[in-house]
Amino acid sequence: MTVRERLRSGAGAVARSGVRARLRSLAAGLLVLAAVAASWTGWSWYAAAHDGPAARATVRDQVLAAGEQAVQNMNTLDHADLDRGLDLWESSTTGDLHAQLVQGRADFEKQVAQAKTVTTARILAGAVTELDEPAGRAAVLIAVRITVQAPQAQPAAKDSRMLGELTRTASGWKLSALGQAPMGSTAGSATPTAPAAAPGTAAPGSAATPSPTGR
Amino acid sequence: MSSTTRHLINRQRRLAAVATLPRPVPTEAPAPTPTPTPEPDPTRPEQSRQPRLPRWRRRPRPTAVLLVLAVLLAAFACWAGPAAERLRSGPAHHNAALTDPVRTSEVKGAVTEAVNSLFSYSYADPDRTDQAARRLLTGGAVQQHATLLTEVRAQAAARKLVLTTTVTDSGVQTLDGARARVLVFADQRNTSTADGATDAATYAAAMFAVDAVRQGGGWRIENIDTFGR
Repeated sequence: MTVRERLRSGAGAVARSGVRARLRSLAAGLLVLAAVAASWTGWSWYAAAHDGPAARATVRDQVLAAGEQAVQNMNTLDHADLDRGLDLWESSTTGDLHAQLVQGRADFEKQVAQAKTVTTARILAGAVTELDEPAGRAAVLIAVRITVQAPQAQPAAKDSRMLGELTRTASGWKLSALGQAPMGSTAGSATPTAPAAAPGTAAPGSAATPSPTGR
Repeated sequence: MSSTTRHLINRQRRLAAVATLPRPVPTEAPAPTPTPTPEPDPTRPEQSRQPRLPRWRRRPRPTAVLLVLAVLLAAFACWAGPAAERLRSGPAHHNAALTDPVRTSEVKGAVTEAVNSLFSYSYADPDRTDQAARRLLTGGAVQQHATLLTEVRAQAAARKLVLTTTVTDSGVQTLDGARARVLVFADQRNTSTADGATDAATYAAAMFAVDAVRQGGGWRIENIDTFGR
């Protein structure tokens, strides 16, 4: 190594170490900025997601979506595809309602296979009426239009007033109780039945078409 | 560390022994055993190798670490900021149904009372329903209410009809400032007390949704949605 070379490499090292120091302080500055931004937005996100009305609103909407979907599922059944339909019933429910469905499944399959009905449902409106987040319980009010198609018959549409209870499970909110809103305490009819999907189980007394007029 | 010092001590002893050569050295005995020092001292060969490593492998670590951390934190901020914004300003948050329990139950109570009086009708006091309509309805609901009650009005006097509506369940679907939508389940009891009429009352189950607006300290019904029935 000549003296010249040595000098040049020395100067290079000095220059390089200067650049390096500058780069490092630039990186440190960027890190500080990023840390400030991250803690600000992170705190803001955490606050929005974990407490207060925003978090409760999110859960409310989850409950409503789950409740409407479950009620829709529970009022949908095709005699030609019973297994899939009833599996869906079971996967939409939990607790007592689930146990009831599992227990009555064989009988119910027979009834529907005999009636050869195809039941479809459309959710008209729904609202969450109670939400106990810590306990994982909620109640919903759901208006549904159920259409039953029996062989050699016009499809019959019927509106149904559903009251549902939901329970939070590991795989989301599920129906733990479902029935029709009882009609008039003095009327004495229309005891709420569990799944009202097929004509066999629907309460005949509640077949009156709901409408605001007293007809 | 300790082996290194021991090695140094031994070396000093050895040198001392050499200095006093003629004397037999009993302490010399353990010293000639192969010194284990080179083995647990790997720093030395590496130090001699280090300058040959590419520059980027040795030096700029602190800067790189700082940059990587900065990028990670910035990425988190880029995600968390919009996520928080979505939570705060999303449609879910605008809807105060249930998240504001006081206003929710207030509108629920107001709509319940309004529906009860708007859809109750007595042949003996038709004015009462009309007054309720003037007080509690606005916009398109005025006409909707009139249409819904047409038949009852027409037959009321002759059949001495009394229609009683009782809201049994209701739920606030949306509540945004001065506007609300409420789903209503109601029972309707219809009795005819005309001479010779069969005494039996008829019952009907009703379900519909109403849009309500807050006007002058109270809630008024603006729209009645009977779901196409």
